[in-house]
Amino acid sequence: MSLLQIEPTSWLFALSSLGPTVVLVLSALAVLAIDSLSPDARSNTRLAATAAAGTLIALGITVWYLLAGTGQPATGGAISLFSGAIVVDGMGLFFTAIFTSVAALVVVASYDYLEDDANPAAFYSLLLFATTAMSLMAVANSLATVFISLEMASLPSYALVAYLKTNRGSVEAGLKYFLIGAVSAAVFAFGISLVYAATGSLLLPDIATAIGDVTDLAGILGVGILMVAGGFLFKTASVPFHFWAPEAYEGAPAPVSAFLSSASKAAGFAVAFRVFAEAFMPALDVAVDWGLLFGILAVVTMVLGNFAAATQTNVKRMLAYSSIGHAGYALIGLAAVTAGAGANNATVMGAAMAHLLVYGFMNTGAFLFIAMIERWGVGRTFEDYAGIGRKAPMASMAMAVFMFSLAGLPLFGGFFSKYFLFLGAINAGFWWLAAVGAVTSALSLYYYSRVVKALWLEEPTGNLDALDSKPTGLYAAVIVAGVITVLLLPGFGPVIETAEAAAAAVFA
Amino acid sequence: MSWIAIGALALVGIAIPLAMMAVSALLRPAVPEQSKSTTYESGEIPTGSGHVQLNIQYYMVALLFVVFDIETVMIFPWAVMYRSALEAGTPLSQALLPMLIFVGILVVGLVWAWRIGAVEWTTSLRAATQKTERQNT
Amino acid sequence: MVPVEYYLLLSSGLFCIGLFGILTRRNALYFLMSVELMLNAANINLVAFSFYWGNLTGQTFALFAIALAAAEVAVGIGIILALYRNFGDVDVMQAATMRW
Repeated sequence: MSLLQIEPTSWLFALSSLGPTVVLVLSALAVLAIDSLSPDARSNTRLAATAAAGTLIALGITVWYLLAGTGQPATGGAISLFSGAIVVDGMGLFFTAIFTSVAALVVVASYDYLEDDANPAAFYSLLLFATTAMSLMAVANSLATVFISLEMASLPSYALVAYLKTNRGSVEAGLKYFLIGAVSAAVFAFGISLVYAATGSLLLPDIATAIGDVTDLAGILGVGILMVAGGFLFKTASVPFHFWAPEAYEGAPAPVSAFLSSASKAAGFAVAFRVFAEAFMPALDVAVDWGLLFGILAVVTMVLGNFAAATQTNVKRMLAYSSIGHAGYALIGLAAVTAGAGANNATVMGAAMAHLLVYGFMNTGAFLFIAMIERWGVGRTFEDYAGIGRKAPMASMAMAVFMFSLAGLPLFGGFFSKYFLFLGAINAGFWWLAAVGAVTSALSLYYYSRVVKALWLEEPTGNLDALDSKPTGLYAAVIVAGVITVLLLPGFGPVIETAEAAAAAVFA
Repeated sequence: MSWIAIGALALVGIAIPLAMMAVSALLRPAVPEQSKSTTYESGEIPTGSGHVQLNIQYYMVALLFVVFDIETVMIFPWAVMYRSALEAGTPLSQALLPMLIFVGILVVGLVWAWRIGAVEWTTSLRAATQKTERQNT
Repeated sequence: MVPVEYYLLLSSGLFCIGLFGILTRRNALYFLMSVELMLNAANINLVAFSFYWGNLTGQTFALFAIALAAAEVAVGIGIILALYRNFGDVDVMQAATMRW
């Protein structure tokens, strides 16, 4: 590989290791530059093409690095940059692949959504800046870079949720997301300052070594870890910081809901995995048993998310609660790594990572289907969806795939990811987490199948003439997400192998 | 020991104005009068309310100020150590280039905001009519 | 030298004042100010313990935290302006068209 022959301290080396991030930020700036050059003859097509090209090139580079073994044990291990504040390794690249593919789908789908918009450049650039920050979150190896990249991802997200400035629902959603986000950022920052107070460092490996020497400040360290955990729980929409999620996802433009519930959630888990696995492992005995905390929160999140989803009448809100439930499944991965059983840790965390990848495609697809319905102006409840399958069979077929895959039926990608996750949890000794997960998955089949039943089996209630228009970008994005969800069933082997190898490298 | 002197100074500093106000309150005659409680406007008779709603576009100015203010926060530590870094033999690509990239990104954003008209002072219809009314009277 | 515990007390006090403001105030602008108090509590800790541990990490991070806080306020004021245009008020409880 030519990449490794460059002098490891040079700027070029740093930039090429962070290739996906650099490409994303350049494409965001390119969107702004193109719009500055011709603000009067604004072209949605040109801007969307630039943004889509940026995300796809970034995705291509990430996959290439993953296959070539950049930052992985095969080529000499993780690449440490900027005095260790950033570490490019398999886990970072794996998560970057999730973010960039979700962003690419959302950009393509937004093309139709923004057709009549006055200022599409703002939307695309905010989306790309948020994706840039997420790709930094995946490689952040110091609490300073973690906080900065997390905020960098949050700020564009607030603006994106409130993007429809004259729509009361969108503004209300943006406000609630912002208020809770601002508080949790403050709590997070205070937690970081307490961890720094106790250990004297912000670099994750240094924190891990310093925790052993903490004596009289152990209480401070414990409070700090709890506050840092609070920041992650907000970002991943887990209990008890979940209550912004239904509002924000329901009020936001549907492509933005897709982006937040898939990419933003995965980004939260990316940092949480790294921070807790690398820095706070020794704190289990010294300060606070965060493993048990995450275990309890995983149970509560799974139960609350799935039960609340079952009672909804609005499909978008139902998906929002189901996304809270899925945060609970991924939390299993965080709770079970504390079993201390060597290889089991990597297996569980790898399974959670693979689940987030599959979830990225199926959940994005489901929200983009809602975006298509919103564009047709059909309605928001289950009854309004009746009979759409006859007028729009391709999209409805894809939606059925997403729903059954989210429920974990053994026909689609979502089955294996849940199966490996629960199996890993049982092997790590957390059979109760796996049991709750399996029961709530069975419950989720009830409300997911309601959507499919409405789409295919029920008679149309309203006028469905609006369905004659075919939004190309939305259709393409939904179909691609559906095809990938199906292909992930036979193709799950390489995914889980990559994820487990990446997780093993973090624990090594 | 020096703290005692400072404490004593602070005590005296607080005590003198308090004592002056107390003494004058005891000695002066009380003549309540309405003009005493009105706002002092250098002899002019005050008109209107003190609660004026400012134009919302001042927020835009405030936002731009915040952006440049923060830019200074980031540039300042760099400027302080720039010369010593160069003397210590740091190449320009590591001392100057990162700051140029940082400012360059901000410039792209500023140019874009300028071109879409975010920094222009839009004159609404209402403001324009109020202006002509004032000129006519 | 001031004992390091005093800084912790000061910052915790400031943090709690901010938290109290968030829980009791309904005006969105007061909310923003309270969040600023909480972030500055973190900055006090960072700078104080930067001195205590004898490294500059905390001070540098405090600079970034200040910058991010300002950026957050900029975005927040934008959203509050949109809120005012749509609901005619900056009361955070007014915006309740969706149920909690």
